[in-house]
Amino acid sequence: MAKTTRVKNKRLKAAAGSGKSRATGAPKWVGQPIRRVEEDRLVRGKGIFVDDQKLTGMLHIRFVRSSYGHAKITRVDVTKAAALPGVVCTLTGAEVKGLVKPFIEIGPDVGQKIADYPMAVDKVVYQGEPVAAVVAENRMAAEDAAELVEVEYEPLPPVMTAEDALKEGSLVHPGMGTNRNWHGVFEYGDMEKAFKQADHVVHIDRLHFHRFSSTPLECNAMIAVWDSRSERIEYWSNNSFPSFAAQFLSPALGVRIDQILMKSFDIGGGFGIKITNYPYMALCALASRKAGDRPVKWTETRTEHMQASAHGNERTFLDTRVALDKNGVITAIDSRHVDDCGAYPRYEPLGCVIWAQVLPGSYRVRNIRIDMNQVVTNKCPVGPNRGYSRMQQLWFLERVLDICGHSLGIPTDEMRLRNYIRKNEMPYETPNGCVYDSGDYAGMLAMGKTLVGWDDWKRKQAAAREEGRWIGLGIGSTLDSGTNNFGQARIINAGAPFSGQSKAAIAKLDIYGEVVISMGSVPQGQGHETTAAQVVADVLGVSPGHVKVKPGFDTEQNAYTGHTGTYASQFAVTGLSAIHGAATKLRKEMSRLAAWALKAKEKDLEFGVGAQGPEVRDKRSKKSINYWALANIVNVNNAGMPEKLWDVTLNCRHVYHAPFQLPDVKKKFGNLTLTYAAQIHVAVVEVDRDTFQPKILAYACVDDCGRAINPRIVEGQVHGCTAHGIGAALMEDCAYDGDGNLLASTFSDYTPITAMNMPDLLYGHMESPSPFTFNGAKGMGEGGAAPVHTICAALQDALYSKGVIINDSHNTGDSIFLAVQRAGTGGFASSVRIEHRRAAGRSAR
Amino acid sequence: MSQVPNARVEAVYFSSAGGETAVSSCLSAPIAIECARTTTNDFCRSPTADTRHPKRQAENIVYAHPFSYHRAGSLLEASELLQQLGEEARLIAGGQSLIPLMKMRMVRPSALVDINFIPGLSEIRCSDGQLRFGALARHADIEESDAASSIPIVQDCAAGIADVQVRNQGTIGGSLAEADPSGDWGAVLLTLETSVRCSRPSGERTIALDDFFKDAYTTVLGHDELISEIIVKQPAKNSAGAYLAFKRSAPVYATASAAVQLTLGDSDTCKDVRIVLGCVGLTAIRAKEAEKTLREKKLEKKRIDSAVEAVRAAAEPQDDMRGSADYKRVLIAALVKRAIGIAARRARGEQVEAGHEYVGR
Ligand SMILES: Cc1cc2nc3c(=O)[nH]c(=O)nc-3n(C[C@H](O)[C@H](O)[C@H](O)COP(=O)(O)OP(=O)(O)OC[C@H]3O[C@@H](n4cnc5c(N)ncnc54)[C@H](O)[C@@H]3O)c2cc1C
Repeated sequence: MAKTTRVKNKRLKAAAGSGKSRATGAPKWVGQPIRRVEEDRLVRGKGIFVDDQKLTGMLHIRFVRSSYGHAKITRVDVTKAAALPGVVCTLTGAEVKGLVKPFIEIGPDVGQKIADYPMAVDKVVYQGEPVAAVVAENRMAAEDAAELVEVEYEPLPPVMTAEDALKEGSLVHPGMGTNRNWHGVFEYGDMEKAFKQADHVVHIDRLHFHRFSSTPLECNAMIAVWDSRSERIEYWSNNSFPSFAAQFLSPALGVRIDQILMKSFDIGGGFGIKITNYPYMALCALASRKAGDRPVKWTETRTEHMQASAHGNERTFLDTRVALDKNGVITAIDSRHVDDCGAYPRYEPLGCVIWAQVLPGSYRVRNIRIDMNQVVTNKCPVGPNRGYSRMQQLWFLERVLDICGHSLGIPTDEMRLRNYIRKNEMPYETPNGCVYDSGDYAGMLAMGKTLVGWDDWKRKQAAAREEGRWIGLGIGSTLDSGTNNFGQARIINAGAPFSGQSKAAIAKLDIYGEVVISMGSVPQGQGHETTAAQVVADVLGVSPGHVKVKPGFDTEQNAYTGHTGTYASQFAVTGLSAIHGAATKLRKEMSRLAAWALKAKEKDLEFGVGAQGPEVRDKRSKKSINYWALANIVNVNNAGMPEKLWDVTLNCRHVYHAPFQLPDVKKKFGNLTLTYAAQIHVAVVEVDRDTFQPKILAYACVDDCGRAINPRIVEGQVHGCTAHGIGAALMEDCAYDGDGNLLASTFSDYTPITAMNMPDLLYGHMESPSPFTFNGAKGMGEGGAAPVHTICAALQDALYSKGVIINDSHNTGDSIFLAVQRAGTGGFASSVRIEHRRAAGRSAR
Repeated sequence: MSQVPNARVEAVYFSSAGGETAVSSCLSAPIAIECARTTTNDFCRSPTADTRHPKRQAENIVYAHPFSYHRAGSLLEASELLQQLGEEARLIAGGQSLIPLMKMRMVRPSALVDINFIPGLSEIRCSDGQLRFGALARHADIEESDAASSIPIVQDCAAGIADVQVRNQGTIGGSLAEADPSGDWGAVLLTLETSVRCSRPSGERTIALDDFFKDAYTTVLGHDELISEIIVKQPAKNSAGAYLAFKRSAPVYATASAAVQLTLGDSDTCKDVRIVLGCVGLTAIRAKEAEKTLREKKLEKKRIDSAVEAVRAAAEPQDDMRGSADYKRVLIAALVKRAIGIAARRARGEQVEAGHEYVGR
């Protein structure tokens, strides 16, 4: 039985305390489903994206890319290309090697032996890897010239699967001496005892989470200017974690970090995949310097994006053993996981620990042993992809739950109720020291079942079975862990010099009394401008329309810390906390100033909107001073200001620090994330008996992200995440052939989901406020790939009686047809085995 | 590209032309042509079912190779331009097949002859029991025409091709001339009495559609020959059809498609039937054996089952990202079975919705 553990983490207790005390006064704007202020601009085509930027003298770069997955480069000849009219210069790998240092590697030991140059030097390790570049006056000339670059290769045997990589037959990076770039065992509880006492043990040979990606409407794009006079490199890019990119670029390019200026604009989607576009940033900078400091623009094509930006992590789960008691309660899980990070680790091997934020998923199991491995292969490098690293673990656990439930004859909803962490156990400390802040998984499931009409569908399912139809009901329980503690990197590499989590914001009352908020966050559709304005409006007693929010990263003008970026479901917590803190500081300064100006006491002041716009009022004298007058005193009319107010700048910066400590590296124990939003989806899927195509008959999503700052935005995120997940489950697959060719290098092959494929969504929302955040909110943008789990669960339910085990996260009519055929010839028995250890009856109903 | 073992992008890149001709700037030229070299709208299309044709090699490029642009004022002028400009010149209609291929540099015409400004070429008319589609009739115009609504199978087809943008721009003539193995019109029109009117300087000819396609991406048209009109005989009252295509998503070609046109006789006998399979061969395939098992027979389950078996045998699919060959046989059989059912109900006078099916729904 799971034991409730008390949370001992001191910092969290303090955060919980302060959260309560600060959350006084009912908010007026926070919680309202107001329209996004950025919508109007974006919908009318008035957004400003990198590709809209045109600088004087701007050149265009075009990459020549490898058609091989793994090959030695024997010759690169750019002479013909360089001679084409309009071409300004070229770059080759050999040249680049002389100009930069390889990028830093996060992984320890063998990982440090990878030489990750932004351009292939002696050999190519994935299809699409840049081998040369051409810089020209316009894109057409660049493309014409790129075709004239002659490259010769000598093919090498490619490493295309995780299992192949572990065989070490062919090495992706010979300098590493192995293909396994990370290994660690995460073990908690008493495994031996749990398996000894188990009533049932379920063995699952192999499960596989496939490689898919995010397909932002806007591909990667950037402009670089390496200005030799000012000794600065200026970037306009859609990188979604610029402070991280700068930390990679600075040592590689041999410049101080303050010489790198980053700016971002509107971004047409990112989902994490744009975090790792910094190798291209390095190449554009080199190209600019070589071209005599002229700006160089790169706008990625879709095929380049598919082949050579970043994919999501692929993971294989081997030799899984699950211990259960007689009631179907899971008591232990033992498994070996092999993550495939593609050709270069880059953000990896962080994914080898990030999954551990949700080690037991939504379940109470306390004995867990995961032997975690990561390998390099000859595929596109991975990058954090919405649901990053946790969705793989959650999918694995959901498959375990369903396979065990079906094997023991326990209905899948019942199976979950028996294993879920209970509402009254929150905050709940997981076996590895993570603290689930709040949540009511059973309540969410109940809501999902009601929305979808579970009982009714159960009856319909039974009737349909009689007719020989295959209908399945599935549940997917996910956690969206947000606000990560970078200290978990120490579990990967004890020497990693980063930890914690922070965000900065500046709140300013400008010369004419404008409230201006700047932050370095890099929104890609999450509505930061709107939610930030809602928070500030409540602090200052104005309306969101009075608040000008400057989004985007801007080294010179906006606030940032080394953690600044948009990733890890956190803006509602970290970004808004920083903004709230900055606005609170500003309010305090304004109060002091107003008290002096109005000859009043600070405690008698109130903030609001009067006849002359936003103002501060003295409740006693009824006198007021508006924002313009306040700003005027400090900025342009300050001769009469008393000395005690000289520290008032009306320009207040605040840094929010998430309440984290360093994890215990040896025990792999500690709090890895601050908040845990949850999504529980319920689906009814029918597999067509003739075409084997899965059809979604009903779909419900229930989310709980604590206090929703803006319910409209939350619902939008849920819709987006659901579409992404259904696409991944049924359509999208970055499949490679055995020779290293990506089989989905265009949208015609990758088929990202469209409206035509979407079911109608039934939506439900619950609120379990987080005790650890000032506003009770939790980050929720990633969504944990709930539909992947849910659709697999429904397919499993539909086909279990046919002897089919759903062991892959990607299922198409084709693969289902194959699975049904194989099951007919006994494939089932070999992949899952059940040991009944005790006499205790097999049915736990 | 990648599913083709031999079609790997060449290790050494060559340029085929000198590259000095630029596209002429013509203010009112169709948007599609501008797209080819002046905007960054980079929808890429990968090869469809055929794997033997060398022109289907994708490159990762979004600007066409330089070409010259010419606008024809009449059919004759178009032919003459093609003659003058030589083998490397191509006609352009809606540009929905040609432009993507040019942008990926899978084709590199030296010159384009634009037929969009030839008067009278997009008319849709109904006369003497015949439906006449001008070569430039857009898929969307056909979808909305009265003519199409009188032949359900034509409506099924026109309404489901790709997405709205493609339907607004793509033409029926271009589709037949392109002879894509996955093109919808080829499969659908082969179930009807269809002929293709062609024009060249030496005169006109009318070719039965059965004789029109030679191979994947290959027709009997000469280099200077144009399709001017597609003529479809109006089916009899007791005849109706259905077109069912299964697609992964809207803007891609079908994985498999089934076109069935059925004429009912007395007491539910099948007087005549045509069954055509799309996407499962180098051209659309007439499943003649399957037709034989139904013709002059009562439409019973047993007969339909054996027709479907014959369909499986007639299909010649290949493995690709849309599905394995084995699966496509299963799929085409299922689609034909369904299409026969719908065609029969329609022939009996019922209104039945049909058309395209998508993953997930
Ligand atoms: C994203 C996308 C998805 C698509 N999906 C589908 C689909 O699902 N089903 C489908 O059937 N089609 C599909 N298409 C293709 C579309 O239907 C095209 O419109 C059609 O294949 C070609 O017609 P067009 O007028 O655009 O021809 P163009 O592209 O202009 O020309 C195609 C070829 O035909 C020649 N040609 C054009 N007109 C004539 C003529 N009158 N006489 C002689 N030769 C001529 C040209 O020289 C060229 O070689 C898709 C296209 C796109 C871009």
